[in-house]
Amino acid sequence: MAFQILLNVVLAFTWMFLKTSYTSSTFFVGYLLGLLIIFAFRNCFSGRFYLIRAYAVFRLFLIFIKELILANIAVLKVVLKPKLDMRPGIFAMQTVLEKDWEITVLANLITLTPGTLVVDVSDDNKTLYIHAVDIEDAEDVIQGIKSTFENAILEVSR
Amino acid sequence: MKTNDLILQTVTKVCAFVIILFSISIFLGGHYSPGGGFVGGLMTSCAIVLLLLAYDLKTVAALLPIDYKIMIACGLLISASTVAGSWLFHAPLMTHAYSYFNLPILGKTSLHTAVLFDLGVYLVVIGVTMTIIQTIGESE
Repeated sequence: MAFQILLNVVLAFTWMFLKTSYTSSTFFVGYLLGLLIIFAFRNCFSGRFYLIRAYAVFRLFLIFIKELILANIAVLKVVLKPKLDMRPGIFAMQTVLEKDWEITVLANLITLTPGTLVVDVSDDNKTLYIHAVDIEDAEDVIQGIKSTFENAILEVSR
Repeated sequence: MKTNDLILQTVTKVCAFVIILFSISIFLGGHYSPGGGFVGGLMTSCAIVLLLLAYDLKTVAALLPIDYKIMIACGLLISASTVAGSWLFHAPLMTHAYSYFNLPILGKTSLHTAVLFDLGVYLVVIGVTMTIIQTIGESE
């Protein structure tokens, strides 16, 4: 991905040198044309076309914003509830993510979302220990996390 | 004996992009400077020929899954519809129009329908060149 972006920037600069016009709009045109060329030659590269990955990052960001808003509303409900009937608990979740940054991002996302908090990561980086404010069904929570965050992160790093 | 084409292939991977960018520059600059659809198309097919030299027919076909015969047809269609488009405005055949537009980011830009005609020429030239070279290359 980094190589494709670098190549695109180099192509944009080459375009500026060809046009002998060093303005931001020339750079923009060159960047667009470079994008077009890289798209046409996307099979040359080992990874996927980098815009797909950029889109995945953008979608992960949107998911994060949405979950952050939902989390705060959920906490507000818990705080304002007169009856203290929540059942806190800690459960373990297996993760398929391997790289350090993936696990870090997943842990941060879980922490910032409704009623869950990552307490610890196991030594082999395979299990996350999560504290839930209201633990009704741990399996449901795990499935929810897996289907949203883990898939979105896999989409970025794959 | 089969030699290792590592250096040729690596250089090609970088050079092909620059050549294609230069060909687009020539193609778009055709109105004000030497160049145009024909030279631009030839140079783009040069880049693809360079790929063909560095790799083989099958690899390049996998890299660029394009049917060049369809490309010729598309080019002809674009050129012909640009020419026929003047009918819509009750103007003589092949009348071209241009105007200045204020595009976002780019600023004041002149857009000319002759570029579309040139685009057709560009595609036909690439298509014809690549069809000729591929057909000769494939026959034993």
